[in-house]
Amino acid sequence: MDYRAQIGIRFITRRKGSLIAASLAVAIAILVVQVNSVIFQGLYNAIVRDLTNYRFGHVFISKRGDFITRSDFMLVNWLDRIPYVQAAAPRLDYSALSINSTVNGQLIQDVNVPVPVLGVKPEWDVKASTLYQTVKGQYVSYRDSIVLGALVDRDLGYPQIGDTVKIKFKDQFGNDVLKRFVIVGISQTAGNQGNDNGVIINIDTLREIMDRPGQSSEIIVRLNDPSKADYVSELFLSAFPSSADKFKAQTIEQAAEVQLAGFRSGIALINLVGYFGMMSSAFAVVTIQMMQVSSKTRDIGVMRAIGAKRKDVLLVFIFQGMVIGAIGAGLGTAMGIGYTVYAKETHMTFQGSLALEVQYNWMGIAQTDIMAFVLAIIASIYPAFKATKLEPVEAMRFA
Amino acid sequence: MLEVHNVEKVYGEAETAVRALQNINFAVKRGEFILIVGSSGSGKSTLLNMIGLLDRPTRGQILVDGADTSTLDDNHLSSFRNSKLGFIFQFSNLLSDLTVLENVLLPRRIQGTLDGATEEARMLLKTVGLESQLKKFANKISGGQAQRVAITRALINKPAIVLADEPTGNLDSISAETTVHLLKSLNRKLNQTFIIVTHDRPQFGDVDKIITIKDGRIVEGELEASMA
Repeated sequence: MDYRAQIGIRFITRRKGSLIAASLAVAIAILVVQVNSVIFQGLYNAIVRDLTNYRFGHVFISKRGDFITRSDFMLVNWLDRIPYVQAAAPRLDYSALSINSTVNGQLIQDVNVPVPVLGVKPEWDVKASTLYQTVKGQYVSYRDSIVLGALVDRDLGYPQIGDTVKIKFKDQFGNDVLKRFVIVGISQTAGNQGNDNGVIINIDTLREIMDRPGQSSEIIVRLNDPSKADYVSELFLSAFPSSADKFKAQTIEQAAEVQLAGFRSGIALINLVGYFGMMSSAFAVVTIQMMQVSSKTRDIGVMRAIGAKRKDVLLVFIFQGMVIGAIGAGLGTAMGIGYTVYAKETHMTFQGSLALEVQYNWMGIAQTDIMAFVLAIIASIYPAFKATKLEPVEAMRFA
Repeated sequence: MLEVHNVEKVYGEAETAVRALQNINFAVKRGEFILIVGSSGSGKSTLLNMIGLLDRPTRGQILVDGADTSTLDDNHLSSFRNSKLGFIFQFSNLLSDLTVLENVLLPRRIQGTLDGATEEARMLLKTVGLESQLKKFANKISGGQAQRVAITRALINKPAIVLADEPTGNLDSISAETTVHLLKSLNRKLNQTFIIVTHDRPQFGDVDKIITIKDGRIVEGELEASMA
């Protein structure tokens, strides 16, 4: 082994306190970046997952500024023939003027704010979406059945399954339409990513209320291979060109751009905070390396006296930085992977938030490790440089 | 072998200047055993640092084997120290994180000439009676043993000149006697020049030359040969 490497390694490994402190500084910096990544990227992935599962599907087909008037049966059948498509289902979005609940025939709560109403075709929707899985009770089935979102249920004074609600709509001609529904289920999702603040009814009932027979707001498409979303979108638009039908076929990232863009900025900011943490760990390495240089001043003087050049002294402390970087990176990676595995296996949640969708990002881990390793070396340059400036006679006087 | 011409060393500037050495002139031949003596603060260690190329004189020249060392840059000075000079310090100054053998081998590893170096180091350590301590870390041996390791380290590169600064200053009387005996016998055996700074002149008995320093000057009439 090169003698400078050997001395560098011995200097730091025989000072266990310094080694542990410096390595921990590097390791904790990596851990912070990893934890940030697991939590915030996991949260982002979870939101994308839930938006896909509940609202948008992998491909979201809508019409610019209007309702889809083409037959949902025809469109869904056309989509079903694409091998990557698992299922497709039409949906109709509307807003009710008000809603009130009656229990045993008595009004218990009136909500006079607009309530989002989602019309679904139950037999298709359960194949194209997992929204039905969020329902305690039953999913909508017959024409007068309704699933309340948990927040609406709360605002209505917690009516139970079997109770009735009355909803006031305005049809497309401005006429008030009052309709009674029987509650068949309550929908609740972690993080309210589902339909917690709205209600779900049968699409045919909603079409009738709105006087829009056969029309839909969107077709959600679930794929068996989500990576083919672009392909399916393009295929659809080539079959139904925008010029004719004004269709939009969007992937989840495009469809949920508004919801996701802010979160992505947040992740970038949090990553930045993590990397600032890494910079502060570099300062810790600088401090510990300066202490190392100080405690080894006499040895540096002796080495210089017996012929070591300044660059040899520099290399001793650079090798020392490499040891710190390597041990810190190894330790940080082990802790980071351990945390990632734990978060993934336990489907980690925070106080009822949605379960994190944790993915192993090996490239990200490798990048963080390399960055931490390189930073430990860079952090060693200044102390190493200071060490080279020591004159032998002065250095050997150091007790 | 070694020529010192008009060497002067001044620390500080203007009014705060301290003249540590003035008008130092002497020459040393190969194989000589020389003592530099003087009271504390007289400048003897400063002179040794100049000869050892650890510090540069303010004025004057130091020639080793005819080469003017004042013209050498830092890298060349390091190489020069490594190949031509061996150092023995008062506190042995071994690297505590290296073993006895690794300490001895260090000058050779710096030089990059490792062929047969381990065997030579073992032989030298055997000569000084430390063959059983090779793998011990330097901070795990006694002061006397450490000084013998330092002597071995100073000799491993077969330097033309061995410089020792108070080599017995930190040893008990028995260890000091052993060290003096060892230095003198190595001087005879290896025909290397030994220049030793000491304040304990009698301890070394007969030597080839004694340079007495007082207030930074060689005292007139004290550059003497004391070999019987």
